[in-house]
Amino acid sequence: MDLNQSIRLLSSWIGQIGDLGLNLLWRFIHIVVSLWYIVSGIFEAIESYAISLGLNKKYSSIDLEKLRCLAVVVDIEAVQDVAKVVELLQWLTTIGVKQVGLFDSQGLLKKSKDLILETVPGSMLLEEIGKDFSPDGKRIALEFISSSDNKEAVMKAANILLQRYLKSSHPENDKGENFFTESHLNEALGVVGENVHVPDLLLVYGPIRSHLGFPAWRLRYTEIVHMGTLKYMRYGSLLKAIHKFTGVHQNYGT
Amino acid sequence: MPRHVAVIMDGNRRWAKRAGLLTSQGHEAGAKRLIEFSEFCFKLGIHTVSAFAFSTENWGRHKIEVKCLMSLIQHYLKSKIQYFQREETRVSVIGNLTKIPESLLRTVQEIEEATRSYKKKHLILAIDYSGRLDILRACKSIVKKSEKGLIREEDVDEALIERELLTNCTEFPSPDLLIRTSGEQRISNFFLWQLAYTELFFSPVLWPDFDKDKLLEALVSYQRRERRFGCRV
Repeated sequence: MDLNQSIRLLSSWIGQIGDLGLNLLWRFIHIVVSLWYIVSGIFEAIESYAISLGLNKKYSSIDLEKLRCLAVVVDIEAVQDVAKVVELLQWLTTIGVKQVGLFDSQGLLKKSKDLILETVPGSMLLEEIGKDFSPDGKRIALEFISSSDNKEAVMKAANILLQRYLKSSHPENDKGENFFTESHLNEALGVVGENVHVPDLLLVYGPIRSHLGFPAWRLRYTEIVHMGTLKYMRYGSLLKAIHKFTGVHQNYGT
Repeated sequence: MPRHVAVIMDGNRRWAKRAGLLTSQGHEAGAKRLIEFSEFCFKLGIHTVSAFAFSTENWGRHKIEVKCLMSLIQHYLKSKIQYFQREETRVSVIGNLTKIPESLLRTVQEIEEATRSYKKKHLILAIDYSGRLDILRACKSIVKKSEKGLIREEDVDEALIERELLTNCTEFPSPDLLIRTSGEQRISNFFLWQLAYTELFFSPVLWPDFDKDKLLEALVSYQRRERRFGCRV
């Protein structure tokens, strides 16, 4: 073996050792971060338990004036446990939330709509409520949403705008300013049956922090909170998330 | 590693106030942080970094602050052209560029032209950007193409709308990870369509303080998740 080959071999070994070292370092960072999440998870669980028992007076009454519409995103694996969804809605009714949009990407909650409406006391479909309806007492208006209300709805609304534009008479150099405004798209979304109520707060129940395809058009200024998995949901955490939202101040970019 | 990391750089003004500095100095610290952030991302093998530099709603801020922001963006882009060429980083600017100052527009065109050929790293700056207007613009573009006979009505689908969004400048238009700093937990009209399955990481740290350690934490957090893109596994 000559000198050049030896140097190449040595460089290759050094490279491999370097890669191994970086790999180990990355795994070590993962362990540290995971430990941090475990410890903070334990503290959150204790705090949530204390809140549930009413030990923290701060959460004993919550002003829900700012929370006109709450949305809940449920992960596809968790959504099969409808009993948990019903329990969550019962908690929300107890807290005093009046309007809830329930979302799962595949529309399984839509299929369980009747069961949920029968099981949650005081619940009714949002679309069956009149415009001047004001829920009183322990009543809650529910909306069932899926991925078809997201991109597919925008696509259908785009088609409606396209048809209207093509059918109208407009000058050749018209840039379409009269046809393509946010309010026109809102209107077209209404035509395809998409409710454009904007949720003030979105709670995500699932293993990942993503809104999983909730209708994008409605999420502009929505507060998004990841609540963990539905299986291990806690009343105290729910109360804390809603209480925290009531203290948020938005400047809307200005 | 994520292929595309997006960031909402929030907290410059609060950072400046806390440090007893002017708002403009806060934004300058924020701009410097963005360069460091993107440099580190590219070193880690991330292909695309997009940053929400100025939203449509930001026009409502005080005129002096807006003017200062526009000058800052122009100064940084102009002074960094050679840097981006040396680093072989493509720079794209997306948004409604009709309202920005003429001088900034020229600088944008200059830097985009100078870096267009680079493929391995891509920095996207969203200036005067609105997620809703992006979707609306895509719909308008489709109508125009249909009028010219380039597409048929029945061809309008989700994929077509996605191709018409402003993020069509990148190979990976949907971010894998979105980071928002300063503790706010909302997406504020940024990439509304594109964020459907994006991991959202909300950090309480103000943007100028969001250093490599915080970025590593966000990336590790991302790697711990199992994204299923809405499907059953």
